[in-house]
Amino acid sequence: MYALEINHVVKRYGSFTALNDINFKIEAGEFVGLLGVNGAGKTSLISSIAGINNFEGEIKVAGYNVISEVVKSKQSLGVVPQELAFDPFLTVYQALKFQSGLYGVKNNKEWLFEVIERMHLTDKINSNTRTLSGGMKRRLMVAQALVHKPPVIILDEPTTGVDVEIRQSLWGFIAQLHKSGHTILLTTHYLEEVEKLCNKIIMIDKGKIISQSTKENLIAECSTLPTTLEIETQDAKFIDSLEHLILKKDGSSFTLKLENNEQLLDILNQFRDAGIILENINIKKPSLEDIFIHFIHR
Amino acid sequence: MQGFLQLIKKEVYRFMSIWGQTVLGPLSSALLYQFIFGKQLASISTDMPGVTYAEFLIPGLVMMQVLLNAFSNSSSSIIQSKYTGSIIYVLMAPITPFSIYSAYLIAAIIRGLIVGIAVFLGIMWFGANVPKCWIAILYFLIFGASITAGLGLIVGILCDKFDQLGGFQSFVMVPLIYLSGVFFNPHNFSGMWQLATRLNPFMYIVDGFRYGFIQHSSYNVEFGAIFVFIFALLINGVGYLLMKKGIKIKH
Repeated sequence: MYALEINHVVKRYGSFTALNDINFKIEAGEFVGLLGVNGAGKTSLISSIAGINNFEGEIKVAGYNVISEVVKSKQSLGVVPQELAFDPFLTVYQALKFQSGLYGVKNNKEWLFEVIERMHLTDKINSNTRTLSGGMKRRLMVAQALVHKPPVIILDEPTTGVDVEIRQSLWGFIAQLHKSGHTILLTTHYLEEVEKLCNKIIMIDKGKIISQSTKENLIAECSTLPTTLEIETQDAKFIDSLEHLILKKDGSSFTLKLENNEQLLDILNQFRDAGIILENINIKKPSLEDIFIHFIHR
Repeated sequence: MQGFLQLIKKEVYRFMSIWGQTVLGPLSSALLYQFIFGKQLASISTDMPGVTYAEFLIPGLVMMQVLLNAFSNSSSSIIQSKYTGSIIYVLMAPITPFSIYSAYLIAAIIRGLIVGIAVFLGIMWFGANVPKCWIAILYFLIFGASITAGLGLIVGILCDKFDQLGGFQSFVMVPLIYLSGVFFNPHNFSGMWQLATRLNPFMYIVDGFRYGFIQHSSYNVEFGAIFVFIFALLINGVGYLLMKKGIKIKH
C-alpha cells in the first residue's frame, strides 16, 4: 500500500488545464519534494489531495480514496495550505483543540503543548489568532496539521515568511517527524532544504510531471551539468582566451564552465600571468536549483 | 460523529463569545419594536376575539428575531470563514458534507432558540400570553429557524462579499418578515398583497408559532405546518447539494 497514489489526475479551471494527467506514487516513509515554478500546478494538486478541489482521476491517501472514502482518507492526512487561514474567534490553544476535535482526537494536551513549543508559540498560547504575525500564523497552521499525528503530511510552502532561526528549528522538527515514520510531501522555494531533507523529488511544470526520481538518481541523471568556477574581480579586463568559458556575468562576478582540475589550474595560471587579482573564488557542483532550472528549460 | 459535534460546539462558541451582539442586540431591537408598535398601535384590532394587540405582537416579535438570527448565524459564519480562509479546516477535516451542513444548520437553529428565549423573557412583561400549545411553539420554532438557517447557508455559500449578504437581507429577508404578519393580521391585506402573503412561508411560521400562545390563527395551522415542512425540506435540500458539490467553496 502506498502512502499517496495519484492516478491520471486532471484539474481544469474553465478552459485552463492546471493539472494534465498527473501520475505518481509515494511509498510510506518517503520524504518527497514537489518542485515547480509559480503556477506549475503544485497547489492545485495539493488542494485536490486535501479535498478542497474538485478534480478528475483518482487520488488515494494511505490506500483510501479521497472521494469515496472521504473520512478515512482525511483522517490519514495533515495538510498545511499555502494561503494563510485562521479563525479570528479562537486563541492559539483553542484553534488546536478545535482542530483535534474535528479529527476526533481527545486527551492530546501533552502533544498539543509539544507542538506549540516546537512551533515557538508558547508565549502566544492564549493570544487570539488574529493578533499573530504572518510567520506565527504560518507556524500555527503547521501545528494544526499535526494535531492528529497523521501518517501522511503535506506542507505547501510552510516556511514562507518564517524567520531564519525558527525556520531551521521547524525543519528540524519536520525531519524528526519523518524519522518517526511519517510520510512527507513538501513544496518550498528553499531548494537547499529540499536537497537536505528529501529522498525523492518530483518536478512539475505547466500541469505535467517533468521528472520524478530519487535525489541521487536525479543528480546522476544531470551529471552532464557542468561544475562551475565563480570568480570575482574588480579588474575591468578579462582574458580573451577564457571568454568562451563564461556562462554568466554579473557585474564583477563571472561564472565559468569547469571541465576538470587541470583546466582549473590552467585558468588560475592565466589570471596570474595577466596580473588580474581575484577577490573571491568558488568551485560549485551543480545544485538542485541548477538541476531544476535545467529540467524547466529542457 | 465527534467532528460533527465539535463543529456545532465551535459554532455555538463563536456566537456566544459575542453574546452582546448576537443575543442582547436582538433583545434590544425587540424591546424597541414593542415600545414603538406595542404602545402606539395598542388600539388596533387584531380581528381575533379576546386577543389584545400586545398578545398578538409579542409572539410575532419573538419569531421575527428567531428567523433573522438563525439566518444571520449561518450566513455570516460561512462568509466569514470563506473570508479568513478558515473554511478549509472544515473542508479538510474527516467530516462528510452532510455532517458539515447539518452542524452549521443545527448551530444556527440553536442561536435562533437562544435568541427566541431571551427575547420572550425580555418582552413578555408587556402583556404576553403564557404558552398554551407547546407542540405548535416548538414545531414552528424549529422548522421556522431551519428554513432561515438553510437560507443563510445557501446565501453564505453563494456570496463572496458581505455586501451581497447585506443586499439579500435588505431585499429578501426583511420584506418577507415584515409581510409575514408580525405586526398585523394578514387578513387585513387584500388582492395581490393577500396572495403574496399567502405564498410567504414566514407568514405560516409566525401564524403557527403565535397559535401556540393565543390559540387563534389567521390561517389553518395544520396546512401551515405542512407548508413549512415542505419548504424547510426544499431549502435545506438545495443547501446540502451546494455544500456537497462545493459550489463557491471548493475550487
